[in-house]
Amino acid sequence: MSGGREVVIVGSGAGGSAAAWALTHAGFHVTIIEKGRHLLSGLGTKAGPRTLFGNDEVKGRRAFENPDELLEPRTARSQDEAAQGIERSFVGDVNGLPTVVGGGTIHWDAKTPRFWRQDFKTLSTHGPVPGANLADWPLTYDDLAPFYDEVEQRLGCQGDIHQIPSEVLAQAPRTKQLPLPPGPMMYAAALLAEGARKQGLHPYPVSMAVHSRPFRGGRACNNCGFCSGFGCPINARGGAAISFLHDALRHGARLKHRCFVFRVRLDRSGRKATGVDYLDPHGRVRHQRADVVILAPSAIETARLLLMSRTAHHPHGVGNRSDQLGRNLMFHNFTLAFAHFAGDVHAWVGPNTTITIDDFCFPEKGAPARAAGLPYLKGGICETGGTLLLFDESDLYAAAPNSWGVAHKQLMRSSPLRAHIGGLSMVGEDLPQAANRVDLDPKIRDVYGHPVPRITYSLHRHEIAASNHFGPKLAAMCAAAPGALDGAYVPVGQISQTGGPGSDEAALAAGPASTAHIMGTARMGSDPRTSVCDAHGRVHEVENLFLGDGSVFASAGGFNPSLTIMALSLRMARHVAHTH
Amino acid sequence: MALLPADALPRALAAAPATGQPGRFLTAHEMTTLRALVDRLIPGPPEDPDIGGVEALVPEAIDALLGAFTFEPPLIHAGGPFSNREGARRDDFAHFVPLDAHAELGWRIRLEGSRGIAAREFAGPVTGLQEVYRTGLAALDQAAGGSFAAEPAVAQDAILTGADANFVSQAFSDAREAMYGAPEYRRDAGLAGWTYTGWGDRQPRGHTDAEVTTAQGSSARRLNAEDLARARELLPLLARAGIWRR
Repeated sequence: MSGGREVVIVGSGAGGSAAAWALTHAGFHVTIIEKGRHLLSGLGTKAGPRTLFGNDEVKGRRAFENPDELLEPRTARSQDEAAQGIERSFVGDVNGLPTVVGGGTIHWDAKTPRFWRQDFKTLSTHGPVPGANLADWPLTYDDLAPFYDEVEQRLGCQGDIHQIPSEVLAQAPRTKQLPLPPGPMMYAAALLAEGARKQGLHPYPVSMAVHSRPFRGGRACNNCGFCSGFGCPINARGGAAISFLHDALRHGARLKHRCFVFRVRLDRSGRKATGVDYLDPHGRVRHQRADVVILAPSAIETARLLLMSRTAHHPHGVGNRSDQLGRNLMFHNFTLAFAHFAGDVHAWVGPNTTITIDDFCFPEKGAPARAAGLPYLKGGICETGGTLLLFDESDLYAAAPNSWGVAHKQLMRSSPLRAHIGGLSMVGEDLPQAANRVDLDPKIRDVYGHPVPRITYSLHRHEIAASNHFGPKLAAMCAAAPGALDGAYVPVGQISQTGGPGSDEAALAAGPASTAHIMGTARMGSDPRTSVCDAHGRVHEVENLFLGDGSVFASAGGFNPSLTIMALSLRMARHVAHTH
Repeated sequence: MALLPADALPRALAAAPATGQPGRFLTAHEMTTLRALVDRLIPGPPEDPDIGGVEALVPEAIDALLGAFTFEPPLIHAGGPFSNREGARRDDFAHFVPLDAHAELGWRIRLEGSRGIAAREFAGPVTGLQEVYRTGLAALDQAAGGSFAAEPAVAQDAILTGADANFVSQAFSDAREAMYGAPEYRRDAGLAGWTYTGWGDRQPRGHTDAEVTTAQGSSARRLNAEDLARARELLPLLARAGIWRR
């Protein structure tokens, strides 16, 4: 049905590349416009992608793949500050994702858990929560399951269906084995998993798109350990560029990089998109005509772009008749837990967090929830076996005033927070709130001269209460690990976005801890009065404008979102192929 | 200072400024002050048993960052994917990645400051790192009554404790980046901070499955009670942005 029709996709990350791949193979003329640099020469050629990424901590700190906060700042404030009329309390990096060809997956840790049945029907399954804007998704787990299967096969996910606990399979049923077997189990994660089992919990090898065997002509992972936050030096990790975009480009899709889309163009009726306006690398205004427009620049940037594209028909932003555009912004707030070990447990050796523990993903409706005045407390998966790297370690020891000199070197030698620590992070569900939102900063402009996204965000009290409820359980699990000297946890909100430890009040006022999980802002729903797009990501008010990133999420679940972003985008693209 | 052609980079990497000579950006005197500062931030023998920042050419690395645009390509992002330390035949890290126009603008603003140039002040004026160092090093001299470098270590420590905390923090961060980062940023083949931490880049060799899955007993360092107590105090900082990799 494509008839050579033109599709423009904004953003080459997880969602954009999956859609580009599907629509190219469906016969559409696909153009992907990416704001960032292209660092993978050879992508889309027979020779295959090369890479400039290495085991280099310095480059990652110098905005190599991430946006430069001096050029593309964001601003932030709390809900309280917004109520007081404070325009912003922070300018800089607010949860910026890699701005390069391949998007966030260029340096993702590649964990690929599926959302559960309950996550798609949170409101109807578990009921309302005071102060939260809960909603069911307009689709079910079963609608998405075939696309989960397809994306996992494409990415080359490792894992083992036979080791997944039955309670997890009941919530996220699957019929196919993962395409690759689990890789080597990191030593620290194995110790913590043993502690978890002693506590009656159910640890198992996490699914991730790290290639434990050679895959589709590429190399197998060789356990260098520079994974989360690093581009893979040997391209042994699946992702947007390697798994989808490369093949799309080989089959005719076009990629324009360092091009910044600043407006979605609509026809006179306001009901049909005609293309996008963008700045080319030389700053010239260009137009890309299209029969179908797909936005996938990430949840924060999608909201910003739709708000910037306002017209007479859409005076408050395209697709914002519901006043939900930009709202219900969700991150994940991580509760950390650790054990110290007398010996060296070398958590930086090999891919990290090779274990997941899903026992806390079910809502708990007992006394602790009632004491907090909430119907339930709910956690998320525990990514078990995290890692601290060398420069980050040196940063921690330098955090106290005047901590330079011999004392700092001594800490670097004895390495209590790197060599001797095993830890985990619980992916805390972040309940949607109408007041957590993205809008356009009234004053601050980026290097392109356009208003930057302003993030207004405060934790819901559920997030604090859940973290304090599950935290001690996490600490007990760590303490039960063989050889553990102790067990401790760090609740969410203890560290503000911009620095040091603070009080509970300060934590509530502070912005989110940095996270690469960004969801909401243009939620999907069946009722146009309360949602921005439909179950296929189509903006209710525009017949050919689709959203293909985390903006469409109606809930955040307790799971890393990228697999779900790709599955949703693939489902959307197949729908476009059938209807356009 | 003239730009260096790309093929001259290996020679430039070896040719760090000698003591008493001006750096790529800093004057000869400023280099002397910076060396004295780095010697307090990351001391070496005899005060500390392991290599110190001055011996590891950390001051020269900071100066090279401040003067990054006197190199072509600028010394900002080392190349990849491999160094020649773990089995690769050539050192890709030593071939720095050229910036495109967008990235260059950001780094010009960061290093040189916005200087009243409209194209750099879309989000307001920015003080560059060059000025931060020029001002910060001069303030150390002023606090020393003339020459920070000429003071004994005890007096230097007292000056630093009372100095502008933002500057000391910036210098310590940049010094640690050089000390614990890849040697190529230091224009030195030495492993510096990697020697006493057992750290290093690992590609293309990687780790064997056995190294991942088992305790590496013989090399295991034991954690003493004092460091464990200190670690417990610092534990909440693991929740800082982007620190805990997962």
